[in-house]
Amino acid sequence: MVLLHAEVGLSQLSKTGEELCGDNVEVVRTPTDTIIVISDGLGSGVKANILATLTTKIAASMLKRGIPLEDVVDTITATLPVCKQRKIAYSTLHIIKITSDGLATVVEFDCPSTFLKRSNHVIVFPTMEKVVGGKVIREGQLVLQEDDIIVAVSDGVIHAGIGGLLKLGWGWQGIAQQLAGETAKIIDAESLSKQVIRCCQGYYLDKAGDDSTVVSVKIRRPLHLTILTGPPADRSYDQKVVRRFLHQPGKKAIAGGTTANIVSRVTNRPLTVNLDYHDPDIPPTGRIEGIDLVTEGVLTLNAAVDRLRSATMWNQQDGASQLARMMLEADQINIIAGSAVNPAHQNPNFPVQINIKSQVLNQLLTVLKGKGKQVSIEWV
Amino acid sequence: MKSLLVEVCIGTSCHLLGAQDLLQAIEEFVPENQAKLDIRGVTCLKTCGRGPNVRIDGQVFTNVTPDYLIAVIQSYLLQEEELLCPK
Repeated sequence: MVLLHAEVGLSQLSKTGEELCGDNVEVVRTPTDTIIVISDGLGSGVKANILATLTTKIAASMLKRGIPLEDVVDTITATLPVCKQRKIAYSTLHIIKITSDGLATVVEFDCPSTFLKRSNHVIVFPTMEKVVGGKVIREGQLVLQEDDIIVAVSDGVIHAGIGGLLKLGWGWQGIAQQLAGETAKIIDAESLSKQVIRCCQGYYLDKAGDDSTVVSVKIRRPLHLTILTGPPADRSYDQKVVRRFLHQPGKKAIAGGTTANIVSRVTNRPLTVNLDYHDPDIPPTGRIEGIDLVTEGVLTLNAAVDRLRSATMWNQQDGASQLARMMLEADQINIIAGSAVNPAHQNPNFPVQINIKSQVLNQLLTVLKGKGKQVSIEWV
Repeated sequence: MKSLLVEVCIGTSCHLLGAQDLLQAIEEFVPENQAKLDIRGVTCLKTCGRGPNVRIDGQVFTNVTPDYLIAVIQSYLLQEEELLCPK
């Protein structure tokens, strides 16, 4: 069975004059599922944002723990704060859950129907009405294929241009036509969402009358990355670990000089070192045929964590930036970490973080999980 | 003439102990001598505790400073090996 990955792309537009978007999206990844919760809060600005954020956070954390949908809807309706003017607590709820074998479950409560795009055809994601906790919701399930795209929008997108450029707004069919024109095999989820939002902004003539959100989910094969860092604690495992590393699917990176030497020795492929220092703090990279990236170990990993945490753009060519970029491009990252200790690293004059490799790897794990990656660490 | 192989370790310890200064010193070395050198990087010379380390013509030198490195290279080039192994 081919395991599939749900690539999620989000683009939003706030109502003119508002700093905060009243729609909120929460994406949660578990080892097998991708759960996306979208909510459009009542009104706009801060109030709507709070309602929507509460809804998505509550729903996502409950669904992540496998709590049934009925309880999720019940909890949300019972917890949301009540609007003083309208005396109601309200936000829409849109849940998309995709398992690694491609089974998609869509739940809609008061939100526009979900789009399903296969090749150049766009249809309504098939759902049926159901009463849960006294509320009428729509729920549907479908097994998706590679290159299928699911798109969820908030009503701000449906109503784009209403009363202005378009009498009745862009409408569901209008968006469907726009989506049908895109080539599913080429476009990624992020670009598709951005493109729909750009059209939406155009129909609103740059003055959005409502918060608008587009979430696209593209089903594709996952992009794997395996990082081998540090020699195994027991030297007799060197060959076994290297062989296993080389048999992993997708891209491969080595972080560690001694580790690179071991791989070079086991594979009988020469290791060459590039002597260009792109950044004085990060040792240069190396090259081994068949390996996508060879870097130094703990200093590079620490700098890669910093790059990933940094809010500013980075496009340097040093080992840490290259490694960080490679991690951002991958969906599933497997780190094979050797637990051998280099006694020379215990020098009290060295930066403290180089003594504790597990600490930097745990930080890396946290930052990558925060970016929606599926990461695993295996100590050898 | 066969060029002199100079391998500078750029592993974590040697990097922190100043391998970059060694590479810079070689770069600033008299240009006409550059052609006689084959400079390469290596990831470990297995003497991490005594870095920065350099291997010249197969012999590992530890605790190398830029001045010392240039002196060693010069002595190799001038074939003044007796300077390196005083009796």
